[in-house]
Parts: sequence; C-alpha cells; structure tokens
Amino acid sequence: MNVSSANLLFGASLLATCLVFTGCQTSVNTVSREPPAQRQMVTDKRVITYANLGRRVYVIGVAEAPTPGGVLQIQVEVWNRTGSAQRFNYWFEWFDSNGMQVNPTSTAKIPCLLEGGETRLLSSVAPNPLCKDFRVKFMEAKY
Amino acid sequence: MKPILLPLVLAASASVFWTGCGTPARRIESGGRESITTVGSIDIQDFIAAAEASVNKLLASGALDRVPMPPAILAVSGVRNDTGHQFDTDLLTKKIRVKLNTSGKALTTTTVGLGGHAEDPLAKELGAELPHRPDFTLSGKILETRSKAGKVEQSTFSFQLSLTDNRGLALWEGEEEITKQGSRATVGF
Repeated sequence: MNVSSANLLFGASLLATCLVFTGCQTSVNTVSREPPAQRQMVTDKRVITYANLGRRVYVIGVAEAPTPGGVLQIQVEVWNRTGSAQRFNYWFEWFDSNGMQVNPTSTAKIPCLLEGGETRLLSSVAPNPLCKDFRVKFMEAKY
Repeated sequence: MKPILLPLVLAASASVFWTGCGTPARRIESGGRESITTVGSIDIQDFIAAAEASVNKLLASGALDRVPMPPAILAVSGVRNDTGHQFDTDLLTKKIRVKLNTSGKALTTTTVGLGGHAEDPLAKELGAELPHRPDFTLSGKILETRSKAGKVEQSTFSFQLSLTDNRGLALWEGEEEITKQGSRATVGF
C-alpha cells in the first residue's frame, strides 16, 4: 500500500512537472504532407550558422528561382527542431560570377523568432542581375 | 602626513576605477550587431532593413521592368515623416535609390522634383532635361504606433511606399513594419 502510494505520488509529480514545463514552452504544430521531422538537413556550404544555433535551427532546404525581371531570388527553409522559441538574426551576402561580393556594406541583419517546431521560409532577392551566388548567415540573437 | 595621503590615494583609485569602467570611443559597422537599439526611435539598422526589404520586394515584383525603354526613370516625390521624431527621410530614400541604381533596373532623375525644385539645380540650369516624363514616381510615408505595458514600451514604425506610373496608377505598393519592444536602449541585437 505504501509502495503504491509512493508510486502514485511520484507519477503525479512527474505529470505536474511535465505540465509546468509544457506550459512554459511555445510551440507550433504544423500540418504538412511531409512531416519536417522526416527531412534531412541539407548540407550546403553557402549556409553559415554561428555557435550552437545550428543544432537547434536546421536549414532543411534552399530554393532558387529568377524573378520576372531576371534577378535571382532565394528561399531558405528553416526549422526549429526544439520545443522552445529560438531567436536569431540572419542576412544574405551576394556574389557575382567571379566570386566577388556585391554591395558588401550595410547588409540588414533581419531578426527572426521561430516558435518551437515551426518551419519558415526566409527569402531574399539579389541586388542586381549579375549576382550568381549567395551566402546566408545565421547568428544567435543577443536579446 | 597620513591624513593627507589617504584622500589622495582614494581619489586616484576612484579616477582609475571610473576611467576603466567607461567605454572608449570606437568605430563600429553601420547597422552591425554592435549598434545601439532604442525602443522609441528609428535606428540606422532600421532604415537599412526597411530600405533593403522594400527594394527586395520591388525587384521581385518586376514592376520596374514594365517600361518601354529600360532602365526605368524614377523621380522621387515626397516621403513624409509622420512620426514624432525629426529626421531626414533621405535616410530611407537615398538607400532605396542607391540600391535601385546598382540593380540596373532604375535610374533616378535629379532635375525633376516636387514643386519644381530640382535636387541638382545646376544640372537643370545647364539644360539637362529629360526628353520625356519619368516612368515612375516614388512616394511614401513613415508612421509610428506606440504602446506601453508597465515599464515595457513598444514602438512600430511603418515604412509605406508607392510606385506610381505616368498614368497615375500605383503599380507597386510596399509596407515594411519594424516593431521594437523593451524598457531601455541596448547595445547589440
């Protein structure tokens, strides 16, 4: 009797703890044809992630297509594989066919908040039609 | 001897302490991660982000390619500052102009301006006139919305832009919103 009471108490405590921690987290349930969990991280040398952020926020796909005006447009799909919100900054760098960086200064660092389990498409358009390649950088937000 | 020496030592150590705590002046990357982020005003990184996002969307729309003789000729109309802060709206429009110029999709005229005021009066005086009307005019407004919950303040700055063709139709319209929240300014983001 005493043992079962102790087990019951332990179970209840565990459940309460789980509920408390679940309540603190923000997560997004995404319904899609292919669950993001089955996707593989795309190893792309053009994606640079700083520090530990790479373990929490995965780049699951990079798509590129020209705009109606012939300028290259990039969409990077990112997935927060944790249950808690992740805050980071990202920015794109563009290169011409000779590998020279185009407009190297004054690149906007764009803040992004991904809820737990959320996927999002981050996009950018090349500054001119001569841009043939890009690099996207992710950096953990300070606040 | 001792009573005189003690205050001197204390004063010297206090001055060394305070000098050590101050941040020496240095140059940082404009709009970089070391920039100061304020809640109630538009920072340089906000102007950079708003200009970049607007140009991204404008280029992606293909609106500038719908002209008979590319590149499109653009005249800058007024961008009104409707916020409670005083700043030159060229902080936004110049960045947009530079980006559009380097894109090769549009050139800005400096001899056609609002109310007949040319940006470059000398060029106008020398007769550097456009053979036809500009293909587009760029106009806009910057707005501010503020709210507060206890000590936490929130500001949203809306950058609204319209690209009007020479028929008077807004061929492209864009709005970028930058929202900031906090109780005090911080260094870095």
